[in-house]
Amino acid sequence: MAIRRGFMPGCSLPSYSPANISKTIGFLQDVYPELSVVQKCCGKPTKALGQVDLLKARFGSLVQDIKHCEIDEIIVACQNCLNMLKESDEFQTVSLWERLPELGLPRELRGKAAQSDVVFSIHDSCPVRDTKGIHDGIRWTLAELGYKTVEPAQTRDRTRCCGFGGMIVPANPDLAKRVMDRRVKDMPTEHIVVYCAACRSSMLMGGGKAWHILDLLWGPVVTQASQPPENVLASPVKAWLNRYKSKAVINRTIT
Amino acid sequence: MSVQFTGKVLTIATEIANNCQGLEAPFCQAECPMHTDAMGYVQLIREGKFDAAVQKIREKLFLPGTLGRICAHPCEKVCRREAEYGQSISIAALKRYAADKADREELWDTTFGHATGKTVAIVGSGPAGAQAAIDLRKEGHRVTIFERLPVLGGMLRVGIPAYRLPHAVLDFEYGYLDKLGVEIRRGVEVGKDIAIAHLREQYDAVILAHGAHIGMMPRVNGSDVAGITNAVEFLREIAFKRQSNVLGENVIVIGGGDVAMDCARSALRGGAKQVRLICLEKECDLPASKHEQESAAAEGVLFTFGWCVDDFLSTDGRVSGIRMKNCLAVIDETGRFNPRLGGDTHELQCDTVIFATGQRVADIADGMLKQTSGGRYLVDKDTLATDVPGVFVAGDAAGSTIAIEAMALGRKSAISVSRYLQGIGLTEGRNFALENSYKSKFEVPLPPDVVDLKRHHPNIMPAERRIQTFDECDLGLDDTTAFKEASRCLECECKDCMTECLMLNDFTHCPGELFSVFLAKGSIEAIVPYSCNMCNQCTLVCPKEYKLADAFAGMRKDFVKANKGKSPIKGHGAIDIHQRLSFSRAFTIRRKGRK
Repeated sequence: MAIRRGFMPGCSLPSYSPANISKTIGFLQDVYPELSVVQKCCGKPTKALGQVDLLKARFGSLVQDIKHCEIDEIIVACQNCLNMLKESDEFQTVSLWERLPELGLPRELRGKAAQSDVVFSIHDSCPVRDTKGIHDGIRWTLAELGYKTVEPAQTRDRTRCCGFGGMIVPANPDLAKRVMDRRVKDMPTEHIVVYCAACRSSMLMGGGKAWHILDLLWGPVVTQASQPPENVLASPVKAWLNRYKSKAVINRTIT
Repeated sequence: MSVQFTGKVLTIATEIANNCQGLEAPFCQAECPMHTDAMGYVQLIREGKFDAAVQKIREKLFLPGTLGRICAHPCEKVCRREAEYGQSISIAALKRYAADKADREELWDTTFGHATGKTVAIVGSGPAGAQAAIDLRKEGHRVTIFERLPVLGGMLRVGIPAYRLPHAVLDFEYGYLDKLGVEIRRGVEVGKDIAIAHLREQYDAVILAHGAHIGMMPRVNGSDVAGITNAVEFLREIAFKRQSNVLGENVIVIGGGDVAMDCARSALRGGAKQVRLICLEKECDLPASKHEQESAAAEGVLFTFGWCVDDFLSTDGRVSGIRMKNCLAVIDETGRFNPRLGGDTHELQCDTVIFATGQRVADIADGMLKQTSGGRYLVDKDTLATDVPGVFVAGDAAGSTIAIEAMALGRKSAISVSRYLQGIGLTEGRNFALENSYKSKFEVPLPPDVVDLKRHHPNIMPAERRIQTFDECDLGLDDTTAFKEASRCLECECKDCMTECLMLNDFTHCPGELFSVFLAKGSIEAIVPYSCNMCNQCTLVCPKEYKLADAFAGMRKDFVKANKGKSPIKGHGAIDIHQRLSFSRAFTIRRKGRK
């Protein structure tokens, strides 16, 4: 029997960009026509606060959803979801960013940014500091698109927190802001590429110009004249509306 | 809210509190009996912040220029560059450089506490007595030093020759005592002019720090003739007159330590034509520092190793030569000083003999206090208290052998006296280990880019000019060399996580401190664990790879448990709502793909 795949976008990405959700699902469906999709939180924030019992119940409900869809291998776009699922060892779990080089980019995207005058600094997500395949996948994708990139001194397995980690933003906002400012200062160029929507929000809060890698994949070519998409996650109303829209996209696409 | 912290949190916290390298002093600082922050001032010298460097030294030492010249610098023996490459940092020379460059009275901290109404008498103004006087004066006690000589400094002034320590340097630095308002009575000999019993009546406490100023001479036949003296008397005479009445032209110094070198080199400067040093030891076992031995040799001092004076020859009541026997071994099987002599004999001519064979402590207590070897008073080694209440001992009289140790004993005696005056137990809650040299447990791997860099040496006056004068012969480090030398410091401190993590700096100096305080109090402000980004960057740079995030995560769980399942942080109410929505039917969906 064929392996059944599922896609899990996480929380911050659907809250950031329903368009990216839509296009990513479409891309995956081209390869995996039987694709299932689960939009739910993995419970990482609950875990970070130290709420052990709540976490058990919440993560359990996610496991139920994945099992309901009879998913054998789940492809994840959020680094925290990835780690939570890997730790639970319930399913085969793979990062979308590792899967991209295996699948290859659609022909029309290859080299699309070859003429761009932007040099992107790469910010790696700290929860996957030790997952080299993800770092490689991101760099492969950027190279395929044709973007020029540069590494900060603290990169890959030495990467630094964006400032969002540990749920410290509501607890100690002043400290979180200083961590964000410092991470932006680490970047050798003005333009920053990330692969976590929360990291992107942090980079914007720290005064940087940041794009999600899916913005670069599915969106217009970024040049020196481009402005980064607005910090949607900073506005709860817009973020929840987007989350709802993403749900609707999934409802519409997976039939 | 009372939080019960769980086993896992306590285990990690205990491990970090006990072993975090951030709490370990650098080797040099731990070894220094006064715990001078050598790394700190060496860094400041490298940064060109000379005033700050002097102030850093003066936090612990009132004699930067003096100790920069004559300290036996135990710090250099344990310097990591010494351990790794056999080339320690020139810590003492850098201290002197900073002092010469920047020390001036405006930088001195001359504040002292409110008057306590208590009085302390200190016998002797050497490094021990002076240090005790400073510490007690700073606490507001009235302190009087009784000094037998017309000059201050004890052996620093009348034992160490001026070519190693110019009097002007010492006198300037001793000016600090005046600034603090320490009363000094020169030319008063306790035990002769005033009895100890009298001091005990007149003062609330007494510290004996009168040093070891009796030159010892072994019994040798025929020594009751002119031309024979001992190091203490010879060097004192030299200190006052730059000359000695006993000194002839052909001098023999007996002894193999640094004091013997001082005598030999002073004799040359005092006008002797030939100076020969005779010692029991073989050349390789000489107790003197290599530097002193080499300097003496360069100046023309002759050495005869492995011989023992057995008999004096004399003409017209003055010594005219010595008869020696060869020495087969200095130390016996039990490790004691017990020279074994052979059958060979040899005669040498001379007109002067100086014994540099040890010093004793004079008994000025009129039998009130028990004495042990070398005349040292019997004291409690931790508190320096004697059997007589209110009477304490410091410095060489209590067993120190170098100036910096004497100062540490001076400080120790002051701590004891301070407690005694306040009626606090002498030992209660006192960490004696920190009052003396201790071994640092610092163990962090050398950074991979460290290379062996050669030690820089001060400029030295040529030997032929040196012996013409009592002027200082070590000219010190020049600016360029001092900078290079200061730059060699490996900075043996572990601050890697503090450099990496912004959060820790808001709450502590190092994780060891943070978790020690947590364990001692059994509690912690919730904001501390809830400010950790859980990014593990601390673990990444920690030489011990301590997982602080795990400790903080564990604490969070315990906080939640004690707070009815919720985070104690106000702002986390928003996360609660966020999480509820993120699992609600309104914002979640599961869609099974087609078969």
